[in-house]
Amino acid sequence: MLTPLEEEEIKFVAEHYASLDGAAIEALKIVQRHRGWISDDSLRDVAEALAMTTTELDSVATFYNLIFRQPVGRHVILLCDSVSCWIMGYDNILEILKRRLNIAGFGHTTADGRFTLLPHVCLGACDRAPVMMIDDRLYGELDADKIDAILAQYE
Amino acid sequence: MPQLTIDDHPIEVPTGTKVIAAAEQLGIMIPRFCYHAALGSVGACRLCAVMFLDGPVKGLQMSCMVDAQDGMVVSTTDAKAVDFRRQVIEWLMLHHPHDCPVCDEGGHCLLQDHTVSSGHAIRRYRGAKRTHRDQYLGPLLQHEMNRCIQCYRCSRYYQDFAGARDLSVMQIGNKVYFGRDRDGTLQSPFAGNLADICPTGVFTDKPSRYMGRRWDYERSPAVCIHCSLGCNIVVSARYREVVRLEARFNPHINGYFMCDRGRHGYTYTSAAGRPRQAIFEGQPADVDATLQHAAERLTSIARMHGLAAVACIGSLRSSVEAQGALVRLCNAQGWPAPAFFDDDERLAAVQTAVAQQHAQVHVSLRAVENADAVIVAGCDPIAEAPMLALALRQAQRRGATIVVIDPRPIELPLAFQHIPLAADQLAACLDDLITRVGTVAHDPGALETGSPADPLAAAADLLVRSRRPVIVCGTDLPNVAAIRQAGKLARVLRENRDSGLFHVLPGANAYSAALLNRGRSMAQVAADIAQGAVKALLVVETDPFHHLPNRKRLTDALARLELLVTLDYLDGPHTRKAHVFLPSTTIFESGGTFINQEGRVQKTAGALQGGTALRLVSNTHPPRLYGQGIPGNQPMPAWLMLSALSGESAFGSSADILQWLAREVPGFENLKAAQPPTGEDLLLDSAGRSEIGRHCLDVTSESPLNPPNSGGGLHLLSTERTFGSEELSCRSPQLIELESTPQARLAPSEARRLALKDGDRIALAAENGFYETTLKVADNMAEGTLAVGRHCHPDWPWDGRHARIADRSIKKIDQRETKINP
Ligand code: SF4
Ligand code: SF4
Ligand code: FES
Ligand code: FES
Repeated sequence: MLTPLEEEEIKFVAEHYASLDGAAIEALKIVQRHRGWISDDSLRDVAEALAMTTTELDSVATFYNLIFRQPVGRHVILLCDSVSCWIMGYDNILEILKRRLNIAGFGHTTADGRFTLLPHVCLGACDRAPVMMIDDRLYGELDADKIDAILAQYE
Repeated sequence: MPQLTIDDHPIEVPTGTKVIAAAEQLGIMIPRFCYHAALGSVGACRLCAVMFLDGPVKGLQMSCMVDAQDGMVVSTTDAKAVDFRRQVIEWLMLHHPHDCPVCDEGGHCLLQDHTVSSGHAIRRYRGAKRTHRDQYLGPLLQHEMNRCIQCYRCSRYYQDFAGARDLSVMQIGNKVYFGRDRDGTLQSPFAGNLADICPTGVFTDKPSRYMGRRWDYERSPAVCIHCSLGCNIVVSARYREVVRLEARFNPHINGYFMCDRGRHGYTYTSAAGRPRQAIFEGQPADVDATLQHAAERLTSIARMHGLAAVACIGSLRSSVEAQGALVRLCNAQGWPAPAFFDDDERLAAVQTAVAQQHAQVHVSLRAVENADAVIVAGCDPIAEAPMLALALRQAQRRGATIVVIDPRPIELPLAFQHIPLAADQLAACLDDLITRVGTVAHDPGALETGSPADPLAAAADLLVRSRRPVIVCGTDLPNVAAIRQAGKLARVLRENRDSGLFHVLPGANAYSAALLNRGRSMAQVAADIAQGAVKALLVVETDPFHHLPNRKRLTDALARLELLVTLDYLDGPHTRKAHVFLPSTTIFESGGTFINQEGRVQKTAGALQGGTALRLVSNTHPPRLYGQGIPGNQPMPAWLMLSALSGESAFGSSADILQWLAREVPGFENLKAAQPPTGEDLLLDSAGRSEIGRHCLDVTSESPLNPPNSGGGLHLLSTERTFGSEELSCRSPQLIELESTPQARLAPSEARRLALKDGDRIALAAENGFYETTLKVADNMAEGTLAVGRHCHPDWPWDGRHARIADRSIKKIDQRETKINP
């Protein structure tokens, strides 16, 4: 069941589109903002609200790598693995993150559910490579020291 | 019209033709995966690359994406193009399993063909392969996603062409996945086409899995007989068993596709319980002796009780040859003419429809696709003629508006306007449309444009503005008056547009049965038996228990017969109760001529030699049998046995029957042309045949446009379902899995009035019995109508398909006590 707030927000964005299904991405983002990810139940409820089939909506949801169809940690780290960051040694950063978070690599969540680590293609901040983003904040010119300080800010 | 050169051959093609299609006209098949004539181009697979040597486009280009233009010089064999295509195959094969031997597509796989022809034999890629989990998609299709090459044919077909919404493209990039959000049976009754359209082994036909390779099969062209459209098919048979059906291209009817009822309805022909042994006096006998015995007994009953004591029932699923031979038998023996239709209303409806067919007005399914406005009157396309629904969808995709006037909660895979109108109002409604169209044609200002308050005004407006309108009319619900008005509407529109008329009839050979039926209906025959006027009954390839709803009454009637002779290939009460049984062959064994609802004559040859399927008599692998003779090979074509019964007037060959019909029976004249012009089907033209017309007029002359509502209550309709109503396909195990439970559908206002709610178990009371069913409250229904899905083994306590039922005869069943509330 969608909460009244979610319903209202979805209704509001849907008004900006010619047809209900046009609001699919926005509606998924709304529910993800409230719940962290899109469960099968959420998928079904959003599909119903937009008069789509679950298959049609899942086709949209699974196309976008920032719509999460599996549970994620409280904070999502997006580490850029594209050209500039690759040249500037993103793989070092990845190793450091893996060690600090004690996880196997991309796609994993820490045991305490604090972080999920995901790769991302170009965060649009090549001038500050290597770059990562945690939730809505961007961190550039990363190195080992910085990473500890950054991670410490998140509960 | 652009002129271009492909591989040194000049060709001229219509503007807008893609280069890949132009090459096809020259017989050059440029390799392709994603391009398909029915689905168009998307440029997804990159396999159709060719070299443009000269002209407006230069260099390596996808031939499916480039329109043929004047002066183009194209090479499909250019070394660069060939090498490019080889590389495309190599990367499409990166993740593909190298296991053709265990893939059911092997042997008819486009990917296999192109891989071999491109010379890609050694895999250079050493990385890990991307793998997918397969899904359960129901009884008809097997899913093996690792074989996918991302051509998008399946999703384009399923979502765009067929309008279904439960299969789509998931994920992105290398992980792209074609399936559903979760396991589950595919909902579209056209899902089976995925097996034909997928160029690899992702979607394969499940029931025929591992039955053989394409080269093992005896393959032959045939037509589908599970509804009146007559879609074209290819039959694959092996070890005396029909294994698989596929759609066969026919430009006028089904195009590239077919429906699942047609694709999976075939199992009756090799069914374990199929009666294959002639029987008389309860003993197995040979066919000749049985025929002789039957002839003697029929003659002696006629001698004793008079010629009218012998009655014959023919079938809408028989070949024209069998129907004709039965008519001739009755003529020769002086027995009353055979009954082909279940009841008088149906007989009158179909004859009225057929008498209106006119070469200039009746149109093919293709014309429906090309229409710009379609009025569907009293017809549920997806249930009564499934491929019609697919044709309507194509029309709608091309911009046509579809209006359905029908009391049922019609569902179609397309956007359409539904005018829910009681069946007995249909004629008046069409008459109204005729008047409006007539007025507007003369006075363009007379109609307010599409006033939403009046859907009929909108429909009239639509017709007036259209260039190529088609009127589709059913024969299951509409009465004679409605069918006449539908024809009249098409003719009125014809005055200044290219209009068409399209009827849906109740069986594969209903058209010819309508031309042949000079006598009663089955219901009348049953009544005559019950009264003792008929002592002997010959039943040919039809199960009266399927067609006459009131089983109890029929059982009682048949018990009064002195002789019941049944010829059939189906097992049923009609064969089990027969005193004399003669096994006949199916269309797959003996072929035959079938005439579809527009009068299109299609002849088919048999696909396999008769006999019990080897699987049923041998359990070795490969199956084999030692001994003499073929078990279960007694069945003979019905026409041959009937012809034998007519003694001196026996036909020498099936061709003689067609010639006899052409000579003797009005409406069949066009059959005289032994061979239609090459590439063309023969079309019958029965309009203006005063004989048929007169006959209909006799039956129907005083049918009022708007019959008075006789005493309130509800109009109880027994309506066809896509799966589970048709006589042959309702036996198919894979289709039985797809069948929905028949429900009684009612408008919300009526449900409120009767204090019933959705899901209630209800009992409908007739004079002698009850019919129990579940109530479905449906929004888009006509008031005053209760529509019950027709079951193939009805226990319908009314005499007709449709009846009037009083409010007080509808009772809610208390489910806890399973008792009927007082
Ligand atoms: S499943 Fe078949 S039809 Fe669909 S994209 Fe893959 S290869 Fe093409
Ligand atoms: S639409 Fe009718 S004729 Fe065509 S495949 Fe289906 S059942 Fe057969
Ligand atoms: S490549 Fe990393 S931010 Fe652009
Ligand atoms: S057939 Fe042209 S790109 Fe696939």
